Amino acid sequence: MLKKIPLAQAVGTRLAHDITEVRPGEFKGPAFRKGHTVCDEDVCHLQRLGKNQLYVIDLAPDEIHEDQAAALLAAAMAGEGVVWEDAPREGKIELRAGRDGLLRVDTAALAAFNLIDEVMCATVHNHTRVTKGELVAATRAIPLIMPRAVIERAAAVARQNGPLLSVAPLRAARAGIVVTGNEVYHGLVEDRFVPILAEKLSALGSSVSAAVFVPDDARRIAAALKDQLRQGCDLLLTTAGMSVDPDDVTRQGIRLAGATEMHYGAAALPGAMFLMAYIGEIPLLGVPACGLHHKATALDLILPRVLAGERIGKKDLAFLGHGGLCRHCPSCTYPHCAFGKGA
Amino acid sequence: MQPFHVLLAESAAAHGHLCPGQVVGVRMALLGCRLIGLDDPRRPEQVKKLIVYVEMDRCTADAVAHVTGVRLGRRSLKFADYGIMAATFLRLDTGAAFRVISTEAARDLCQLYAPGLTEKAERQIAAYKRMPDSVLFQVQQVRILLDALDLPGPTRSKVACVRCGQMVRDGKQIRSPEGPLCKPCGQGAYFHDPRPVAWENMNWRPEEESEEERSKRKPPPC
Repeated sequence: MLKKIPLAQAVGTRLAHDITEVRPGEFKGPAFRKGHTVCDEDVCHLQRLGKNQLYVIDLAPDEIHEDQAAALLAAAMAGEGVVWEDAPREGKIELRAGRDGLLRVDTAALAAFNLIDEVMCATVHNHTRVTKGELVAATRAIPLIMPRAVIERAAAVARQNGPLLSVAPLRAARAGIVVTGNEVYHGLVEDRFVPILAEKLSALGSSVSAAVFVPDDARRIAAALKDQLRQGCDLLLTTAGMSVDPDDVTRQGIRLAGATEMHYGAAALPGAMFLMAYIGEIPLLGVPACGLHHKATALDLILPRVLAGERIGKKDLAFLGHGGLCRHCPSCTYPHCAFGKGA
Repeated sequence: MQPFHVLLAESAAAHGHLCPGQVVGVRMALLGCRLIGLDDPRRPEQVKKLIVYVEMDRCTADAVAHVTGVRLGRRSLKFADYGIMAATFLRLDTGAAFRVISTEAARDLCQLYAPGLTEKAERQIAAYKRMPDSVLFQVQQVRILLDALDLPGPTRSKVACVRCGQMVRDGKQIRSPEGPLCKPCGQGAYFHDPRPVAWENMNWRPEEESEEERSKRKPPPC
């Protein structure tokens, strides 16, 4: 429990918690750290901060201090690729990416955790790309002292499906691109897809292993895809041929190539006609024409997740809907905007 | 004990329907029994070791009773009319007692645990199956000082009410200056204005009823 003592009697005692000072526009931070031994010179400063009494901690065996609590919580949350230091500041511990990759947040566990009165955790969005050292979450216990059992339950809630937070590295894929369309194949239109996709892949640490052009012919599309697989591509992308036009046979070609799982349509705009398929274990992303005209589409939301090892299904494409609407800002700031952040 | 899905199916059949309260009740009972160290409370050697206090008369109470095998008539099921979704599991031979409380947070989290389902009860049932115990429940270790008169077993006390003459069992009488009173006389009851009545066919007895009479038997007039 906490005991209050008058400031006049505080000289020689050790502070139970950080004491924050706010000087508007100038400084906000701890004026005194937890554990600091109060000396005569501090008394005036503490009075200026409005302190007439101080807390002294007298912990019962079943109680826990906020700093120990924060450490237990951080330990329960930090999964692979997430690091933290047992150096709470004002009772709060920050969790950081221990490597480059894609942040994964167990959002159900996070909500369950935050419904416990005595604790909180705030994170950046699930599926955010992060770099090593970047802040991904912070957690703290709210009371200065609380029952240990409460924190142990909160920690259990945080790790109910494994740790609440992890950073999955993106694998370096060898991508095969199959550009479909009579107009490009016959040279009526110059292809612009390959350089766009190559740039996106490169930014994620992957590379284009091969890019081929085929007409709107399902058998030839299938043959091209199989050929890419034979050459060792471990990621496939097709472009165009995804709409309702009778000449658009890319989906048929993907099926002929042996797709065992195929989900057409994503709840994102741009990207409604995005396709996700698997030929065996090799993921295939069907990029609709919007990929030519927009900086960010469903592809940009899904590709990093695929590279992070996630198996994308119907549910994942449906869940893009909340936050899946690009606002077409005059100056695009993606990924620093809301697009795709609700999934 | 049977697996969860078997217990749930049995409990729902006994209760009359499968509902979110059944899921919570079955899980509450499983957790409560685990906490006090009983792995099959319906087995003869365990059945006398358990007393359960339910704090609500809702679907959950039926599920708790079904899984644990406690019965009101065996005095192993106690009803504390608190309107709280909680039950306390007391092990008589060790005194261990844990109060398992269904969290309100669990209700708010159904959307997250069963996001694909739009029908409320269906979503709650699915979510309550998926949530870990830590989300679904809070647990308190409690002490229960059980009066010997509240234990299972033969009636230990019988006292007649000095006002109405009704026999009161198990020490449930009220002490008053005029002597022991039954609770209806001493502190009021859930009913009002009791008056003796006569009813049709007052001398009926089961042994003497023919099959034809039984089939013609009508419910008494309201």
